[in-house]
Amino acid sequence: MGTLPFFAYAFAFLFLPAGQVLVGAFKGEHGGFTFSNITGLFHQPYIGAFQNSIELSGVTALAGGVFGVLIAYAAIRDGTPRWIRSMLTTFSGVAANFGGIPLAFAFIATLGSIGIVTKFLLNQLHYNIYLHGFSLFTKTGVEIVYLYFQLPLMILVISPAIDGLKREWREAAANLGARPIQFWRYVGVPVLMPSILGAIILLFGNAFAAYATAYSLGYSNLITVTLGAYYQGNVLSNPHFAQAMALGMFAVLALMMAIYIPLLRRAQRWAK
Amino acid sequence: MEDHEAQELEFWQKLREEGMSRTQMLKRSVAAAAGLTVLTTPGLAMARGMAAAPPLKGKGFSMKEMIAEAKKEGHLNTIALPPDWANYGEIMSTFSKKYGIPITNNNPDGSSAEENQAVQSLQGDSRAPDVVDDGPAFAISGTAQGLFAKYFVSEFSTIPRAMKDTRGYWTGDYWGAVSIGYNANLISTPPKTWQDLLKSEYKGKVALNGSPLTSGSAVAGVFAAALGNGGSLGNVQAGIDLFAKMKSSGNFIPVQSTPQTVASGQTPISIDWDYLNLGYAKEFPAANWKVTIPADGVYGAYYAQAINAHAPHPWAARLWEEFLYSDQGQLLWLKGYSHPARFQDLAKRNVIPKALLTALPDASLYAKVKFATSGQQTAAKALIAQQWPSKVGS
Amino acid sequence: MRLRMPRMAPSAYIWLFLGFAYFFIPLLATFLFSLDKNSTGKCCTLHSYGWVIHNPGFWHTLKVSFLLALETIAISLALFVPTVYWVHLKVPKLRPVLAFMALIPFVVPPIVLVVGLLDVYRGTPAWFYAKPWGFLVVAYVILAFPYMFFSLDAGFRSIDVHTLTEASHSLGASWVTTLLKVILPNIRAAALAGSFLALAIVMGEFTIANLSQFYTFPIFLQYVNETQAYPAAALTLMSFGITWAAMLSLLFIGRKRGQRAAFLTGAR
Repeated sequence: MGTLPFFAYAFAFLFLPAGQVLVGAFKGEHGGFTFSNITGLFHQPYIGAFQNSIELSGVTALAGGVFGVLIAYAAIRDGTPRWIRSMLTTFSGVAANFGGIPLAFAFIATLGSIGIVTKFLLNQLHYNIYLHGFSLFTKTGVEIVYLYFQLPLMILVISPAIDGLKREWREAAANLGARPIQFWRYVGVPVLMPSILGAIILLFGNAFAAYATAYSLGYSNLITVTLGAYYQGNVLSNPHFAQAMALGMFAVLALMMAIYIPLLRRAQRWAK
Repeated sequence: MEDHEAQELEFWQKLREEGMSRTQMLKRSVAAAAGLTVLTTPGLAMARGMAAAPPLKGKGFSMKEMIAEAKKEGHLNTIALPPDWANYGEIMSTFSKKYGIPITNNNPDGSSAEENQAVQSLQGDSRAPDVVDDGPAFAISGTAQGLFAKYFVSEFSTIPRAMKDTRGYWTGDYWGAVSIGYNANLISTPPKTWQDLLKSEYKGKVALNGSPLTSGSAVAGVFAAALGNGGSLGNVQAGIDLFAKMKSSGNFIPVQSTPQTVASGQTPISIDWDYLNLGYAKEFPAANWKVTIPADGVYGAYYAQAINAHAPHPWAARLWEEFLYSDQGQLLWLKGYSHPARFQDLAKRNVIPKALLTALPDASLYAKVKFATSGQQTAAKALIAQQWPSKVGS
Repeated sequence: MRLRMPRMAPSAYIWLFLGFAYFFIPLLATFLFSLDKNSTGKCCTLHSYGWVIHNPGFWHTLKVSFLLALETIAISLALFVPTVYWVHLKVPKLRPVLAFMALIPFVVPPIVLVVGLLDVYRGTPAWFYAKPWGFLVVAYVILAFPYMFFSLDAGFRSIDVHTLTEASHSLGASWVTTLLKVILPNIRAAALAGSFLALAIVMGEFTIANLSQFYTFPIFLQYVNETQAYPAAALTLMSFGITWAAMLSLLFIGRKRGQRAAFLTGAR
């Protein structure tokens, strides 16, 4: 079968280490089988960390998904010069992996207490965003920063699918007297929907697994940060508990997939 | 109770008893996980012929022979030694130049845990670290795991009892205290105590050197805050509460303070080790950085050197330790604004240049410094793990 | 009929402008900071950029990471394109399985992955274990897998795999020829998108390289960010620009080959 090399590779380098996680999650601190790692997950602050991570990932996946499609479409559609698309695609390739301290600092320098946008709003428009409750170091702030790599990821993944929306369809619809919004409702969105859903799942996973950016912004109530802390063992040390957390992350993503597959089937029916 | 456990306890007690003026409890939370490179495998050793085994004690051993053997090895692997941390940059380059032995420094920002991990993961590999610079908790746990080799540096006897493992597995090298650094251009009234940090004029200005969930330096910050907020080493709740209060009033910004945030003024007040804050003062003149040890809570910690039991370059490793504990090495650490282990011995013999002494904050500020035992550390970490994410981290 | 270049739609202007503003301003803030002098904290000097350029670690790690990226992209494409093609063509039921597998790398945190890999493969020969070209690339292909898969999946979905394959076979082409000359040009955009992401991942991956003690560009970047102020900002922008240039060159390479092949097969 043609997929054999792939599965062999995946087994050797993905399943084996991942299997360690599965097995390790049930090991106690001194060896032996235990469920305590799993049950421990349902207490604060871990359950809160899970909720936070899920919410953060969901919000940025949806926001990144919607705005990503809009920006990608704006760049690809007829009328926009081709170079804009090339620039956007390549830029997105870089920005999609821009994170950690450089990204955190870039936004601190922009929206921090003495950031250039903050100062601009204060000096030119006499509006102090910090006085009005905004702070870069809250969940909202982290979401704004996360979009910096979520949007590009969406743009990159959805662009080939938008290519698939043949120009002829739009012209044919126009010839038949359809307004743009009707085109989108009956042709455009249904055709794109399976790819959009897949891309949003990817964005969710991307945000869910992110660590360095939130850490640099000091937002530590996320499951990845907590997991890293426990696994590293520098301050807290319980690698098996960390593996249980990874198992929990696995469960969340499995749940996402369980939601995705029936949605996908429905979307594909529309596309047909 | 095992012998070394008793020693540990005694160690902590001695620490408190010992004259606290500039005690040399250096706890390096970053714990240079100097990966001790796994020593040459038996096969390799045999291939090298009957290579002499490195000595157990440095005292009385011929330095010339040690230097010759180390030169034959021709290399030293260190780990987790940031060049701007207590002047490690100059220490490493001085060593290399003096003995002609190049140093490969891996993972400069590694944690103690990573150092010990590297010793284990890379066992048998020529990239493994030769020496580590661990926090005491990891020096102790690493010893229990059999990661380290025994070695008594020549100057072993002049190092305070509390700062070394009497069996020779690890030796404390330098210590520092948690300090408050601030940008004098942006802060008109300098904060002098932990309670000062609650003042409304510091809104959005106070930052910590990382998260106490992952960084030992940040845990030290919580300890110090606890001491300054009516708590104790045994119960750091007061420390967590102080940070929580600062977070809710908006004074505390949870961002990790880095050279960028310090230089740019994004973190006008930074809670960090004294040697790091003092280093910033020198590095970033534009920030007009000043450092003070808060009067109401002085917390100190030291770091410990240990040699990888399977170091790829065992002679170079021991030469490195001899260098670090020589007067020259110790003074280089002092130049980096930290208190070297043999500080009292150096002071007694009057070999410390006056300029180095005056560069540090006044001795009286250090007089009340406290060090936590490993038991207190464990309890504090558990409490922080429970409370920090919800109270401060989000 | 005369071909008229259609004008750009007003809504396109708005969205592109908003996107541009959001992406550009933080970079501008970083740039302004990188121009500040250490002695005064204000503009202007190019000293920070000079610091980066004269740093040997910069050049060495850049070279290493680039080569790793190219190797990762080559292996990823060689492994994933035939697989996704096969699944779309013959075994569509496997698609959800692959999609699920593609999410696993997100769940296995890099830190867990690297410790697991280090453990499992410790006894392997030095040319694999102790060299980045072996050990690291293996891990990076795994990391790139989700992005490659979803990109390729979207790409394959937008073409008619069955018709193309049948047409190609009926003209007498072998599987390999079909794959290389017919299918690949048609999913060019998707393959490129996946390659971009793989490149960016390798140029930005820190944890695995760090724990396995390799010295790559992200390690250098992180080190500078933890210890330097102004050069860190300069380095951030330089690495951004370099990676972007690399992507553009990938684009041109892909375009040239794609155009020729597309012309030959008459595909879009």
